[in-house]
Formats: sequence, C-alpha cells, structure tokens
Amino acid sequence: MGGSGSHLPRDLLGEYQELTFLSKQEILLAHRRFSELLPKEERDRGFLSRLPRSKILTLPELRANPFRHRICQVFSTADDGEGSMSFEDFLDMLSVFSDTATPEIKSHYAFRIFDFDDDGTLDKKDLENLVNCLTGEGEESRLNPVEMDQLIQNILEESDIDKDGTINLSEFQHIISRSPDFPSSFKIVL
Amino acid sequence: MAFHYNDAFENPDYHDSETLELDRVRPRWSASFHRNPYDSSPYDPYDDYSAEEQNSPMEMPVDSVQLQSPAEYSPRAFAFETSDSNPYGNAHINPSFDYEPEFAYMLPTSSDTFNDHYVHRPDTPDGVSIIQRRSRQEVDMAVLAPSSLLQLDPGYNEEKQKQEEKLIQNLANLSTWERIKAIKKIPKTMKEKREIRNHVLREKTKSHNQDAQINRCTQCFYNTFLSFRRFKNGLLECFQFFQLWQKTLKVIGGKFGTSVCSYFVFLTWLLMFNVFSFLVNFSFITVPQLIEAKADNLSFTGLEFFTGAGYFKETVLYYGFYTNGTISKTKSTSPYDMQLAYIFTIGIYFILCFLSLLYSMAKSFRRNFINPSMYSGHAAKLLCIWDFSITNEKAVKLKQRNLSTQMKETLSEVNTEVLKLSVCQKIAQLSIHLAAWVVSLGAAAASCAGIYYFSTANLELFLKDDKTELESEAVTLVLPIVVGLLNHMVPFFYSFFGFVEKFTYPKYQIYTSIGRNIILKMSIIGILCYYWLNIVAASKAQCWETLVGQDIYKLIVVEFICCLLGSFFGEFVRRIIGTKCCQQLGVPEFDIARNVLDLIYAQTLAWIGIFFSPLIPAIQIISFFIIFYVKKVSLMMNCQPPRKAWRASQMNTVFIFLLFFPSFTGVLSVIAVIVWRMKPSEMCGPFRGLETIFAAISSWVAILATYPASLWVVWIYHNLFESVHFFFILSVIVLIITYLYWQIIDGRKIMVRLLQEQIINEGKDKMFLLKKLRALQASRLPNTGQQQERNSSVPQLPRQQMLPSSPDDMERSPGIMERDSYVEPSEMPEMNSFSPHPAEIPGMTSFFPQAEMTSFSRAVQRDPQPAGTAGISDALALALRARQEAEWEMGEEDFRS
Repeated sequence: MGGSGSHLPRDLLGEYQELTFLSKQEILLAHRRFSELLPKEERDRGFLSRLPRSKILTLPELRANPFRHRICQVFSTADDGEGSMSFEDFLDMLSVFSDTATPEIKSHYAFRIFDFDDDGTLDKKDLENLVNCLTGEGEESRLNPVEMDQLIQNILEESDIDKDGTINLSEFQHIISRSPDFPSSFKIVL
Repeated sequence: MAFHYNDAFENPDYHDSETLELDRVRPRWSASFHRNPYDSSPYDPYDDYSAEEQNSPMEMPVDSVQLQSPAEYSPRAFAFETSDSNPYGNAHINPSFDYEPEFAYMLPTSSDTFNDHYVHRPDTPDGVSIIQRRSRQEVDMAVLAPSSLLQLDPGYNEEKQKQEEKLIQNLANLSTWERIKAIKKIPKTMKEKREIRNHVLREKTKSHNQDAQINRCTQCFYNTFLSFRRFKNGLLECFQFFQLWQKTLKVIGGKFGTSVCSYFVFLTWLLMFNVFSFLVNFSFITVPQLIEAKADNLSFTGLEFFTGAGYFKETVLYYGFYTNGTISKTKSTSPYDMQLAYIFTIGIYFILCFLSLLYSMAKSFRRNFINPSMYSGHAAKLLCIWDFSITNEKAVKLKQRNLSTQMKETLSEVNTEVLKLSVCQKIAQLSIHLAAWVVSLGAAAASCAGIYYFSTANLELFLKDDKTELESEAVTLVLPIVVGLLNHMVPFFYSFFGFVEKFTYPKYQIYTSIGRNIILKMSIIGILCYYWLNIVAASKAQCWETLVGQDIYKLIVVEFICCLLGSFFGEFVRRIIGTKCCQQLGVPEFDIARNVLDLIYAQTLAWIGIFFSPLIPAIQIISFFIIFYVKKVSLMMNCQPPRKAWRASQMNTVFIFLLFFPSFTGVLSVIAVIVWRMKPSEMCGPFRGLETIFAAISSWVAILATYPASLWVVWIYHNLFESVHFFFILSVIVLIITYLYWQIIDGRKIMVRLLQEQIINEGKDKMFLLKKLRALQASRLPNTGQQQERNSSVPQLPRQQMLPSSPDDMERSPGIMERDSYVEPSEMPEMNSFSPHPAEIPGMTSFFPQAEMTSFSRAVQRDPQPAGTAGISDALALALRARQEAEWEMGEEDFRS
C-alpha cells in the first residue's frame, strides 16, 4: 500500500464487502479518498493509522454538514474521544450513509447522531441542539427561547408516545418510519 | 451522562441484599455486562414486536451470539473500569447507550467515576428526574431487548445458554447470503461485526462434519453468488457512463437537495425505458427489415430532421416501409414472419412496460403512503428533515435559513390559531376556485377545439397536390408548432391563477396546478389521437400510418425544442430579469412539476409513436440525453434551491402514478383500438391487405391448428384469449381478492390504533408504578403501618380508570390525579442520599420491562392483601408474582406461536 496506487488486499476487500453495505467500487473509492487524506509517511501503515477529526472534516462531503462533529463522534472508535477515525470507522460511516443501507440502521445511527449528550434518549437539550443545527448559528436565523420552547413542546407532543418527556430510539424510529424521504436524504456518497 | 439511572447499584448493600438472591452474581454476567450500548437491539426494534423472533432465523438476537469467553471480553471490561477520564468519548463502548442496568454493577470498583458523573450532571437535582430517566431506560429496554431483561431470572442462565446454542446453530444454518445480510444489519462497528462473523464461522466449521452435505450446497451457492456478484460488478464497471451520471446526480443533489435531484432521476428512469424499447425494436423489427431493405432513392435535404418526412419516409423509421411478407435469407432457416414480429415485439414491450410501471408504482406507494392520515404533525418532521446529501456550503446556509423561516412561520401559525374566515369570505374563495377551474378547463377545451379544426384544415391542405415538395413539408410543420406553443403557453397562463387563488396549504396549490396541466396535456393528446384515428385514417392518404408516424416525430422534435426554449426563457432570461431589472423577483427556482409533466407528455407521445414508427425511442433517447445536460447546466447557472420543503418521494409517487394512469393506460387503449378496430392501409406496412391488425394473429393460429405439436397454443388462444368466461372469472377473482385485502387493511388500521393506545397506557402505568415504588421506598422507614394502608388503597383503582380513551383525557382522568397526588415530592429523598437499603428498587425496576408492566398491575389488583408486612417485602412479593405471571404469559405465547 502507499500512494494513490495503493490497493486493498483481496481478502480484506471481500470481508469489507461482506460486512458493509458498500460495493467493491465504493470501498476502493473510499480507500483512495482516505489515503489521500493521510500524510505521505503514514500511507504505508495502511489500516492502523487514524485520521484526526480535523482532517476528516476537510472532506467536501462533510465540510458543510452541520452535524459533522457528531458524525465523527458517533463513528469514531478511538479511545481518546477526539473523534479520530480509522479506515474501518470511515467505511462504517459510509456504509450507514450509503444507498443500500436499510432504513432501520440509518434511523439507528441518525438517533445516535442527534443524541448530543450520548445518554440514549433525545431530551430537551438534545432537541435544542438539533434545532440549532438545523437553523444555523446566525443571529437572525436562530430561534428565540420562547419559540424554541414552543417548538420542542410541539415535537415532544407529536413524537413522545409514552409521554415521558423524551424521545427514545423506538419512538424516533417510529417517526422515521413515517417519513419516506428519510432514507434518501440520510445519504452521503463519496 | 451515563449512570444516573443506575444510582442504586453503587450501593454495596445491593450486593449483600438478601431479598434479591436471584440477582446474585452469576459467572456468566461478567461476559454480558460489556455490551455495546446499542447491541441490545439485535436487529431492529420493529422485529422485536414479533412474538416469533426466537424462531425466525432472520430476527435472531445476535447479541446473545456475541457472548464469548470472558477472556475475549476482558480488554473491554478493563476499558470500562479505567475509563473514568472520559467514558463517553468512545462511541462503540459508550456506556451511556447501555440499556442494561446490570452494567453499572461494575461501577463500585471505580467509585470516583460515578461521582464524576454526578458532578457533570447539574440537571438532575432531585429524585423525580432520576426516576424519569430511569424509566426512560426502561422503555428502551422493554422495546429493544426483551431477552436481555430476563437476565435476572432464576434459571435464566441455563435458558439463555440453551438459547444461545440454538441461536448460534441457527445462524450457522442460515444460508450464507442471509447470514451476511443479517450481520450487515447489526448496528455495530466493523470490529465487532467481524468478531460475530468469525464466531459464527467457527461454529459453522465445528458443525461442518455433521452436515457436510448442506455445507457443500451452501458453499456451492456461495460460489455461484460470488461469481454472480463478480459478474455484476464487472457489468457495473462497464457502465462507466452511468457512473458519470451518478456523479452529476450527486453534484445536483449536493447543491439543490433530493427534490430537484428526483427530477433528474425520473429523467434517467424514462431514458432507461427508451433504451430498452429501442434495443428490442431495433433487434427484432428493424434488423430483419434491414436485411431485406431496398435502396432509398429519395434525396436528403436536411429539413427532414425537423419534418421527419422526405428521405425518412422510405426508411425503417416508419411503419409504411416494413414488408408484410416473410424474410428468409437462406432456404434452410425457417422464415421470419414480419407481421408476427411486429405485433409480438410491440405487444411484449408494452406488457413489460406495464409490469415494470406497476411494480415501481406499487413499491413507491407502499413506501410513501403507508399511513399518511396518522401523521398529522409538522414538528416531528424536523427530526428527519435534514438532507445529508447537501454538501455545498452555500446551499447549506440557504437551507438553514429556509428551515428557520419555516419553523418561525409554523410557530406563529400555531400561536395565532387558524384565522376563522367568515361565510362571505369562504364563498368568495370557493367562487374564485370555481372560476379558476372553469377558466382552465375552458382553456383546455378551447385549445383542443382549435387543434382539431386546425388539423383537419391542415390535412386537407396537405392532401391537395398543387404544391411543391417544400411547401407541403412546411405545411406539415405548422400543426406541431401550434400544439407545442399551446402546450407551453397555457400552463404559463395557468400559473397566473396563483396570484388570485389562495390555498390553505401549499400542497393543494401544487396538486391543483399539476391536475390542471395534466388535464390540458392529456386532452391535447386525446384530441390528436382522435384526429389520427378518425380523420387521417379515413382520408385518402396513401399510407396513413406513416403520416401519423411523421406527425408524432414532428411533435416530439418540437416538444424537445420547446423544452430547450423553456429552459432558456423560463430560467436564463428570468434570472437576467430577476437579477438585473426587477430585483424583487430574485433568482428563479427550478419548477419540478412543470418539467416532470413535460417529460410525461413527451413519453406519452413516444409510446403512441412506437407503433407507427418503431425507431421513435431512438429519437427520444437523443432528446432526453440532451435535455438532461441542458437542464443540468441551466439549473447550475440560473436557479436557486427550492425554498419550500418539497416532499420529494411523495411527489415522485404522484409522477409515476400520472405516468401510469392517464398516460400509459391511455396509450394502451389507443394501441388496442388500432390493433382491434382500425383497418390498416392497403398499400403499405406489414399488415397491408388485412381487415384488422389482429387478423394476423387469428390467421397465424389457424395455421398453427394444422400442426399437432402446437395445439396447446391454439387451445390457449381459444379458451383464454377469445373466451368471455375466462375474463369474467378472472375479474371476479381479482375483485374478491381486492375486497379481502381491503378488509385486512381496515382490520390492521383498527389494530394499529389499539396498539397505539396501549403504548400510551403502558407508559402511564409504568410511570405510576415507578412513582409508587419510590413512595414505598421513601415511606418505609418512617411508618410501615401507614405504608400498608396505602399499598392496599392503590390496587383498588379500577383498571378502566387507568385506560382513558385518549391521551388528552388521560392527563385529566381522576385515576391519574389520584395516582399523581399519591406520591408527594416531599417524600422523595435525594437520590444521592438514598443509601440505606435501596437495592430492591433497581431490582424491581429491572424486573419489569414495559410489556410486563400491565401484568404487574393486574397482579397488584388481584392481590389486595400483600403477603408481608413491610412495604418493601410487599412490593417484592408483588414483583415476583408479576414476573411469574409474565413468564407464564410468555410461555403461552410461545405455545401459540
């Protein structure tokens, strides 16, 4: 391996194909893109090297996404919690965001991405963060606190089926199952 | 903040508690503690609702498969115990997603970890919110991992072990393809998935000797599958062209979102239809004819590209050129019957089109109209509104701004309530709508009448012989230009209604405009068909089929040019005006509906044209190809992303439906009339001399009847195609099946409603029971006697009171009030100071997944006289009973399934 001409071993490629929703071409493309981001001397180390979050976020597919930090956080397996990604994490991410991934797995990860404090449910704080990501941080586009409260109240009213004040994974997936646009919009293709 | 719901576990008393012997540490626990948080949902929660998940191999909870020797898990256990610095950073071992309370059992070993979390957790000041949080986890547990909750069972261990063996066996017995699919679906990191896979593979090799036969079979299947996949990949690599388009689509999606992208997807989809149709027609109709082709003696001028006449008249492009005889190059091969080839190729193409349209329509209906009536809210949509495929920075900013405006608008609408219109205003609105509809239908009718009179006059002019060649060709061009202009001008005129009409929802506006436009376009095509079949076919023209073919050719070319001009004027000039002259107009948006309707119109023409001119798909391919690039460039240069949220997939369904219903079924009926009713030309075409085109089939069957080997074809023809009874019986059966399905759907709807109510009630039950337990716990110390009294007072609540009809009622129902007032917040100690003997509470709560809650409350009802005296023992006894009952119920379910 190394350089742009680097290639994946055949058996590993087969394994990746078996474990992800990606096709051979997509895996190869992902590998090329990933090694392009690695510094020259690390390219030979192949799968051991990790890309720091800042590097991952230079990808044009992620650069503008308001949820980019969460995406890195959710898919990273690094112990340091800095959101650095190995090639396999990267593939995991692309697999979830690929066209062929099932809506269930997509909604599962969407839930984790939206769960900003990683506590397993979407509570008011998470929803507030989510809405802020959706509207952007600009002064004029942000909702004022009253509007925010009202909005979160509305969201909870509609989606909190068991009325415990938060949205859990199954409630979230219930909403997603009613929104046919979701699988096509929860998509990042290299 | 992870461990808040496990608060009581920190207490060492828990481990010494005598009351929960069954909770005692089991050797296997150490292995199962350290699951990935989301592991507890083996595949997806939807599957977990099914009672037969243990039996069906696809829904097998893999988390139990994942159980491995403790040695393999020890690194992770270590990670937990030492992760006090930042336990959340690592997503795949993120404890906060762990739905198993037992997990926190590890925590006493690192007590400062625990304290850390409380430091980080300012928003849980009192016990109530902790209860709430814990109960939340309960819900998740109940929904996600019914099996994992049974871990506290006595005898659970052996059962689980047995289950695991069975499951691993099952997974190993799965076909390779299914197993791969199953493992793919597990929401875990690559490493863990690989571990599972290896584990299963190990199991597989272990059992290899026993079922070598099966394994060989699966191996064989796997090999075939692999080679098939390789073949598919190879094919994909061949289609670099599509890869090219994938890129373009991605760029468009990245800048304009899925909705605009859906137009281009629709375009490529139609293009595929045409490519297929071209290949079929070319290989089965044109190539045999080319073998026999005579030299064309007409000169080529160049104007033919627009008129389709002249040189093209005597080529394979048109019906008239095809021979009615049989084609045989050598004596040895059997002859190729042109009549049959023509009729069967087109017939089979239409059948395939029909099936594929029906399939895609049904699929998108199933996906997008699952149950729209149930989903009334708008706010929840926010959870899935973000389009992750948008990558352009500007587009992201724009989208955020639009979303923000939308949210603010919706909120202000909610806040100010719906404006109540007076009766007069309502009547005024209604009359405006009515007037708009009358005007639009009138315009459609007027343009149809205009086209009809114009075309008949034009035909007379064309059939007169006192003109030069050029003149007559120019005359034929007038009709298509008029039709094209009407087709693009009238919708423009329709769009002015938008200034007058006010719709309550923008959705209605879109649907109304689509409806009007489709009526216009279809009535234009209808009147043209009438003109072709009744006027042109009856005229004294030499070969009316070729004339119609030429007309359609010209119409398609003009439509193509109009489409390009539409892009130019509607987008380019509009942008110039919007940015230079008239600032408030702004940059135009891409009008998806109008563009898609244009495509549908063109495709309808092409379908009709296939019969008269088998190579029309080729023209269509070229035109769609150019349109794709022109639209793309125009979009990139001139347009801005749509401001309103456009329900892309639902609109797509509507478009496919429109393509199917007025368009394709209309084409089918026109073709049917041509085949069964119309008399083909005497002098040209493959069917010359026949009474109707269908007579070709009849005579063929008559010939077949003389061969004994093909009698079955004759039988099928006589008994199925010609028999009325067969179609009668067929339609009766179809009607019966439809009715049955309808009833099933109704039943399901009722079921869904009931289940939804049940979920709400269960949630309430659970909250109530948790509060009650908390109260018991709190009041146990000061006064046990009082506790006893209370305990017996609650179960007497009639169950009916606990099940109000709607969630709103629930808030006010007396039962709930009583429940709420039953627990005073003052009785709740702070969770942190809640130390003496709290072990029972976690034990209790983890006992009861949501599904078992009702049985618990039933048990409470049935047993007004608790066995023990102390409140805690009561609760415990109740809990044990409830669990037994739950077990019994589960056993019953197993039995049933």
